[in-house]
Amino acid sequence: MSYTEKHESITKDDWMSRLEGLHIQRADMNKLIMNYLVTEGFKEAAEKFQQESGAKPSVDLDSLDDRIRIRDAVQGGRVQEATALVNHLHPELLDNDRYLYFHLQQLHLIELIRAGRVEEALRFAQEQLSEAGESDPTVLAELERTLALLAFEEPDKSPFADLLHPTHRQKVASELNAAILRAENCDWGDGSSTPPPRLTGLLKLILWAQEELDRKKIKYPRMSILASAVIDPPTSK
Amino acid sequence: MMPVMEPIMEVESSRSYIDELYSPDAARCMDAIVRLKNSVIGSNRQKGSVIQQGVVPRLLQLLGDNVSSNNIKIEATITLGSLAKGTEEHVKALVDMGIVTLLINTLGSDDQKLVEVCLCCLRTVFQSPCAPVELIYDDPSLVTHLLNLLSHSVSNQVCITTVLTAACKNPENQNALCEQGAVPALAALLCSPHYKVQMPSLSCLANMCFQNSNVSSVVSTSSYGGKSVPDLLVTLMARDKPSEMQMGAARCLTYMHRAGAISAEDTKILYKTLPCLVRLCKKDRPPGERVLAAETLAYLTEVDTELQRLASISNHLVPTLAEFLRHPGARGLTTNNNNGADGTASSPPPPSSSSIPPPPPAAPLDPSSDPLAVHHFSSLPSSPPSSFLMSGSPAGMTATAANAIRLEKEAQDMKQAAFRAFASLGANDEDIRKKIIDTDNLMEHIVAGLQDSSPKVRLAAVRCLHSLSRSVQQLRTTFQDHSVWRPLMQLLQGAGEDVLSVASSTLCNLLLEFSPSKEPILESGAIDLLCQLTRRKDPALRLNGIWALMNMAFQAEQKIKSQILNTLGTDQIFRLLSDPKVNVLMKTLGLLRNLLSTKPHIDHIMSLHGNQIMQAVILILEGNHGAEVKEQALCILANIADGDSAKEFIMSNEDVLKKLTNYMMHSSVRLQIAAIFCISNLVWKEEGGAAERQARLRDMGVYKLLQQLIVTNDTMLFDKVKTAMTQFSES
Repeated sequence: MSYTEKHESITKDDWMSRLEGLHIQRADMNKLIMNYLVTEGFKEAAEKFQQESGAKPSVDLDSLDDRIRIRDAVQGGRVQEATALVNHLHPELLDNDRYLYFHLQQLHLIELIRAGRVEEALRFAQEQLSEAGESDPTVLAELERTLALLAFEEPDKSPFADLLHPTHRQKVASELNAAILRAENCDWGDGSSTPPPRLTGLLKLILWAQEELDRKKIKYPRMSILASAVIDPPTSK
Repeated sequence: MMPVMEPIMEVESSRSYIDELYSPDAARCMDAIVRLKNSVIGSNRQKGSVIQQGVVPRLLQLLGDNVSSNNIKIEATITLGSLAKGTEEHVKALVDMGIVTLLINTLGSDDQKLVEVCLCCLRTVFQSPCAPVELIYDDPSLVTHLLNLLSHSVSNQVCITTVLTAACKNPENQNALCEQGAVPALAALLCSPHYKVQMPSLSCLANMCFQNSNVSSVVSTSSYGGKSVPDLLVTLMARDKPSEMQMGAARCLTYMHRAGAISAEDTKILYKTLPCLVRLCKKDRPPGERVLAAETLAYLTEVDTELQRLASISNHLVPTLAEFLRHPGARGLTTNNNNGADGTASSPPPPSSSSIPPPPPAAPLDPSSDPLAVHHFSSLPSSPPSSFLMSGSPAGMTATAANAIRLEKEAQDMKQAAFRAFASLGANDEDIRKKIIDTDNLMEHIVAGLQDSSPKVRLAAVRCLHSLSRSVQQLRTTFQDHSVWRPLMQLLQGAGEDVLSVASSTLCNLLLEFSPSKEPILESGAIDLLCQLTRRKDPALRLNGIWALMNMAFQAEQKIKSQILNTLGTDQIFRLLSDPKVNVLMKTLGLLRNLLSTKPHIDHIMSLHGNQIMQAVILILEGNHGAEVKEQALCILANIADGDSAKEFIMSNEDVLKKLTNYMMHSSVRLQIAAIFCISNLVWKEEGGAAERQARLRDMGVYKLLQQLIVTNDTMLFDKVKTAMTQFSES
């Protein structure tokens, strides 16, 4: 796209006033939030939000129970319990997504290491996990990182400590949750089949738009922190 | 119901639960099945292990008996379904133990959940090439039953459409599915809000329409919700739809068009399907998709010149396809010849264009090689690593080596797709051929392709070469410079029928070019090969063989003519003159004509084979043939009459002379002309012995006949008669 005249840099004030001029419907906001709560499995929050705002959830909230239990099991490190639940609900899911299956098993291995059950961990890695590492170098690398934890007296101070961090459990829990959502008939009553939450999509759009503007070397007030929606004035050069 | 919390990840140590499968206590049996299920899901090693331990017969027994509860049957089926998601060997083991029949029988159950999981399992098994999919048709009411089950759940819709797609392999299948009402059901499913239902529905329709004019016609006139199926398909080709969906819809419309249900001028083809396929060939698309798009495009444009023209100017298609040939992983080219200078001189006789049965597109009836199937039915869309794990790479091979092999195969697929597309585009139009040939290094790519390790690439390269060889211009220029004949000849040695057919047609065209380059072709055994072709059962091959020999003999040197005649042998010539196919016969006569041209050659050949040749000509003239055939025979006589010593063969043959006079008065003008041409040569006054010949013919009444014919209205006949008459000296 070519410009016929060079635009001057837009000021932050101008930018903000343009933003303020746009009007977003409250009902749309509520839908977004409800969608987020339902997707992430915050059942009680969703119920309360429904009471307070009147926003209707797109699915029966009781159906969230299963996903909530699974997520809780993973975040509590009870991988076998989670796996058994998933296999009960969606028996084909882990067969279809072996990478996900590997991550669950890897998490179980990490739990064994965390509990100090070293021999069991080694045996488990040999009998169960080695299969996945055989055909894929990425998986092999992740497996090796996990096993390397065993080499350290204090694994939580090793370079691979991120695996022991609770955020790793959350990562796996989210991965599993997303897979379950895909496996369920993603008919969220509004005809779409993209995996929610929509909020993520919106944020990604912001990031994408900013990237495009950056690529074309346009100066504009940038949102630097998504979580707080902080907008910086355009950088001067 | 919560599954047992025993450690399910340590299987090999606790075998006891497998024994519990045989327990009469239903609860313990159920527990065991669930534990078994949990142990095999996700692990091919586990699947293999339990199959080896012999659990499958027990699971099948539980499914098939009439004592186990439906819950047990459901879990058993789910477990079997998981085993079927293992390696090819695992599925084969299940199939060998009769799983398919059992699943089909269970579809009659009242329990909807049980039916649902049976369908899931069946769908998984049917993804394997070893699955006995034809069992679907054993019970005539089964397909109808399946179609009724569609309404019960989305899962059923996905599974049943996938099963039917896999089971649709030949025209009988296509017709059976159509008769049992699959088309309206599929049309409805095209409008499903679920992508994973729409996709297999598209595949199923495509498989049903492929080369089946009856089914295609039914599909094109079906509708749902007030919209015709073709219009629904156009909606699914919209640019905002996922590309796999666009591809699926484009394939359907392509097959329907080729089967005659939609015309080439229909806007749905011209302005929707064709541009869609061109778009899907673009660089930004994944290789598998580009390959299928190019192959489908090749099939779409294969026979219609207008479509070829439109495609060739669409959206930079030719450079896009050229880029296929440079795909990473492809072996690079070693030479870099310049294209030669343009040729001039008079145009040779038009190149041959024998018709060849159209190549089938990318195995559409084989779901396991259908990219649509791979993406959606054996694995849900997920990151690349899982697809590696799913396929179970060969034991002992490193991941890097496996990757290199995959890349090479990908490059080969792209090459053959590009060649096929070029072959279709360049089939009829000279400008398009020029555009294609002008593509960077195309000839080198073709030459390399003729020698590629993959038979598919070789065949595609030959097809491409064949289309290009129809260009008179290219024969004189590009083809000379690139010695395409050498790899072509190599390819012809010991080639399979499909390659042989196209390659020999190409050789036929190459031989039209009368230049010194024929020498090397001869040296590499072309004559032997072509003579052998004339002995083949397939009439297309016989035709190519004799046609090529005919071209080769055109204005050739004496030693080439002799070699042809000697290698072919007069026996074989006689056989060919009795060939059931008239075009073979015609070309054989054409060969004789070409051999018997220029005086010294004529005399030489007649001196060696004159008797047999005369016999052959008489055979034709006396046979039950149409005028065009007999005309050729008469022309041969005319050529013989052009020789010196050869003239005697005719003059000494009372019977032939009589025939000639008869043909002078024949009802067919062309036969008259040919006969008089012969007479002309016989009486040509500048040649030795003309006086005696003229006297002889005058005695037979020839001059009188000429006088009768001079009053004709036909200009050509008049000319010939005039010429002949002026040869006669004053009597």
